Amino acid sequence: MKCERIAELLPDYLRGNLNHEQDDQIEQHLEACAQCRADVAVWQELAHVPVEQPSPQLRARFEAMLHAYQEGQSEKGNVVAERPAGWNWWSGMHWLRPAVGFAVALVLFVAGYFAGSERRSDDSRAQEIAAVQSELTNMRQLLVLSMLQQQSASERLQGITWSAQVQADPQVLSALLRALRYDSSVGVRLAALDALSRHGNQPQVRAGLVKTLDAQQSPLVQVALIDLLVDWRDTSAVQKLQMVEQDPNQNPAVRQRAQLAIEKLNRGKL
Amino acid sequence: MAASACNLFPVGWYSSSEKATDGSGNNLTTKPVADEAVMLQVREGAVDMLGDLFDRYQVPLYNFYAKMTGDRVVSEDLVQEVFFRILKYRHTYRLGTPFRPWLFQIARNARIDHFRKQRPETELDPEMAAPPRVDSAQKKQETSLLHRALMQLPAEKRELLILCRFQELKYEEIARLLGCEVGTVKTRIHRALQELRVNFQELESAHSRPGNSAGAGRIPPAGSQS
Repeated sequence: MKCERIAELLPDYLRGNLNHEQDDQIEQHLEACAQCRADVAVWQELAHVPVEQPSPQLRARFEAMLHAYQEGQSEKGNVVAERPAGWNWWSGMHWLRPAVGFAVALVLFVAGYFAGSERRSDDSRAQEIAAVQSELTNMRQLLVLSMLQQQSASERLQGITWSAQVQADPQVLSALLRALRYDSSVGVRLAALDALSRHGNQPQVRAGLVKTLDAQQSPLVQVALIDLLVDWRDTSAVQKLQMVEQDPNQNPAVRQRAQLAIEKLNRGKL
Repeated sequence: MAASACNLFPVGWYSSSEKATDGSGNNLTTKPVADEAVMLQVREGAVDMLGDLFDRYQVPLYNFYAKMTGDRVVSEDLVQEVFFRILKYRHTYRLGTPFRPWLFQIARNARIDHFRKQRPETELDPEMAAPPRVDSAQKKQETSLLHRALMQLPAEKRELLILCRFQELKYEEIARLLGCEVGTVKTRIHRALQELRVNFQELESAHSRPGNSAGAGRIPPAGSQS
């Protein structure tokens, strides 16, 4: 049997779809043909490529998303669920995603609460307000996290803007760091950097910024990053800056900026 | 938005008349409740049940993306995106549609949409494209070379091999996924395998040649700026 004929049967042979006779024919050919044998060997070897495990956060993010979605559904009532085909009006209002919808509802609820609770005693009122506020904070965080996952860059940008109103929660910070490092849009990355610049006191943020320095693809973001590190007088960044400065693959303007930054930081040390 | 909803399910995708033949696939028998039954419940509003499907498929999906993109973070984002889309489009899931191919249809589209917006050069992260070669055992090293050879394949060929070798989709299912004939799928798989073998053999011979270390491009530490 020739290689061309084998080619037709090989994929089925690999999956064990052939009958005995055909299997035998293939195996005879394999004994004679080193190339086809190598193909089969590679196929078998593929089974040993290890299965990788996602990080545990993936499950947490999924749950946050599911939760936000459920809340959004129950707030909206069953109107949307009733009409699977009538998505048009809904998709036109792209900003009104379930999470956003829920947040808006919650804000209205809080506003209504304030309006309606005038006559209560101050004590219980303060307690309830605190409870509602902490719930609101949680929802805001969820909202920011879910917006940073959106497909459209403008929605992610909006998520970053919202993040300014959220306390420095580690989950939000790491979402911002992820945006800074991996977002496909330079605008989103710059906005993420801007948002992160308010959290210079967090070691997680500092370390994250330094780490992303040479991985950045956009010179614009790199320069902004370098400037921020100088602003923070982050001497731990010097080593990474030197790497950037000496890397011929980096943009010349970035290398120059890195050089200046190193000088400034070293001067600060003295 | 409406456009991507169409894009999700090509016309005639598993119409309910032709299901059942492979809908009750044998690999499902070990599971307590078939994926399809769980998905139907999700469709009917028990969205909590999606957690079950997440548990079953987060690792296969993550591996599909990790091997396609070579980027852990992007892979996790895409897994999240797939489950978001399932929620969003759960009403479009039809009785009798085998779940696994349906899931991978969504997964493919999510990846395509993601990289349509991405600059092409970011598609491969060299950090992950080249897994650590510290393994002393020869077997492990071979596997890591093979992994690299896989990452060197063009995306379509890589996807094809991943879908049939790692995700164990049937040729018929892949054909439907790609919108082509089963025969074409087989031919393409064979070609992809051949190309993989060539890549692998090249890497192997490059690897066994002495003095061909990857760190040769290091820059001397001082005064490189002029």
